[in-house]
Amino acid sequence: MRIALSCIGMILGIFLLAAIPLTINISTGSLVWQLDGAWQAMTNYVIGIVNGDSFLFQEGTNRFQDFLKVVPRHFLLSLGYIVLSGLTAVILGMLVSTWYSRSKQEWVKDIIGFLGMIPDFILVLFLQIAVVSVYQSTGWKVARVASKGVHDHAILLPLITLAIIPTIYLIRTLSERAYDVMGEDYILTAKAKGLTKWYIYIQHVVRNVLPFLKADLHKVASIMISNLFIVEYLYNVNGLTKLLFASTGYQFNLTVNALLAFIGLYIVMYAVLRLFIGCLERIFAYD
Amino acid sequence: MINWRLVVGITLVSAFFIVAIFGPLFAPYEKDFVEPSGYYYNNPDDFGMYASPYPPSKAHIFGTDEWGYDILTLLLYGAKYTIFIGVITAVLRMIIGGFLGMITGLQKKKRRTDNVFGLLGSIPAFIIVYFTMTGIIVNSPLSTGTLIMIQTTVMVLVGIPGVYAAVYSKTTALKQHLYITASSALGAGSIRIAIKHLLPHLQGTFMVMLLKEIILVLSLMGQLGIFNIFIGGTILRLGGPPVYVSITRDWAGLIGQWRSFIFDYQWILFYPLLAFVLLIFAFYMLLRGIELNQKGAFHKYPHI
Repeated sequence: MRIALSCIGMILGIFLLAAIPLTINISTGSLVWQLDGAWQAMTNYVIGIVNGDSFLFQEGTNRFQDFLKVVPRHFLLSLGYIVLSGLTAVILGMLVSTWYSRSKQEWVKDIIGFLGMIPDFILVLFLQIAVVSVYQSTGWKVARVASKGVHDHAILLPLITLAIIPTIYLIRTLSERAYDVMGEDYILTAKAKGLTKWYIYIQHVVRNVLPFLKADLHKVASIMISNLFIVEYLYNVNGLTKLLFASTGYQFNLTVNALLAFIGLYIVMYAVLRLFIGCLERIFAYD
Repeated sequence: MINWRLVVGITLVSAFFIVAIFGPLFAPYEKDFVEPSGYYYNNPDDFGMYASPYPPSKAHIFGTDEWGYDILTLLLYGAKYTIFIGVITAVLRMIIGGFLGMITGLQKKKRRTDNVFGLLGSIPAFIIVYFTMTGIIVNSPLSTGTLIMIQTTVMVLVGIPGVYAAVYSKTTALKQHLYITASSALGAGSIRIAIKHLLPHLQGTFMVMLLKEIILVLSLMGQLGIFNIFIGGTILRLGGPPVYVSITRDWAGLIGQWRSFIFDYQWILFYPLLAFVLLIFAFYMLLRGIELNQKGAFHKYPHI
């Protein structure tokens, strides 16, 4: 019931979001609200679902494409990027946070914290400039700076950028949790029993950190989706963002469809990460 | 031991504020000065022409952009928009969200707020601002001041739920303390408890949250800049490839309008980026300094 309600809320939210540009307009030098245009667009969309008009979008000046035919390609590409980097983030986050929580060096925290604070677009632009200047000074092509076409994808840099921000977020939150867990009494008991450090880490620390990871997963997923817009846009990746931003003029139907596809992306990615954590639970918390 | 992070943070942030207020006074050129193109002729073997963009040199420390504007001058003129709008937006978010969070947190009945805000929170903030501004910002007949007002309002509204949720959860945790119970047993209302008891306790947390919000707002402005939504308005020049220009020359806008200078003339993109990163670094150092100052009292220590 709650899930159904949130789905309806989300769809309504998308409709409203896509209707904003139609609602707020400027005429004769002042802001005006025009609700009827937005209402018209929404009703047209709902009517158009039946005969398929809602899924047509304009490309260029006079070409019309079917959204349902185009979307799988974009969707799968975005999904590939986001799932790969998401899994990397979870694995790295788990591995580093246990070590990181024990480290007393404040400067390590400074650096990791600052990396986490740097906005994604700055990371992207710096990486691109770095790759280009390495190439210009040494002639060595480290990675592609941007995708050039349908078959010539930039892979390394988008994955790095997409993975780095959730990784740092996970390291920060999970290390706090691990720190708290290590202060619990059952750890002291285990230590008093003479269990080795590694055994305590694997049997007690990791399994007590996993629930927090599970709880943080929605946050990680939304961080990654919001990075995906910037990353795909700046690296010219032919993913879902292309459909959202590279249209000619503003098209209500296309925007709604693309945003809905993003929700689908969110759900699939969340499911994959959840599955992965389920596997980890089978390994570390199996009773 | 002196908290050097705090010192660095305070120094840098105040330096940025000085730049924001007095920046135009330090500027080596007028705002609309354009370094002219030209040619030189010394002898039949030594002649040629020069044209912008000029690389960094003594005359132009950060170089000039593709039309010959001095980049340092533009940065100094634009600083006030970036810094003040960032700070003011964050302060407004903190005041409104913090107040609402404390008051509702103190109320007796439990609310299910996480549901609604969780949904809204999963839509990235810059998407919401983008869709609000996209129709009215490009070649807008509205004045720059009006556009800044609208943008600030939207950016404040988008950020309130996050602040609200954080303050709400902190308040409900603090509410368990006996001094709150004692105070409300004596008949204090929730506003009095919030001001007299919660605020002093949350002061440090609020300061840290405010600095985090400033950094978040700055990166939100930057992300909008990437999509050509510039603070104070975007000029779109057509006829040839479309060119987007920031009216106010705020730093996020400069980065956005020059973001494709990665292959050649990289200084045009590099110095604004550097300035932006340094700004974030300044606030971050301040944040770390304050965080470390108040860390320690309630922490547990690990056994292994």
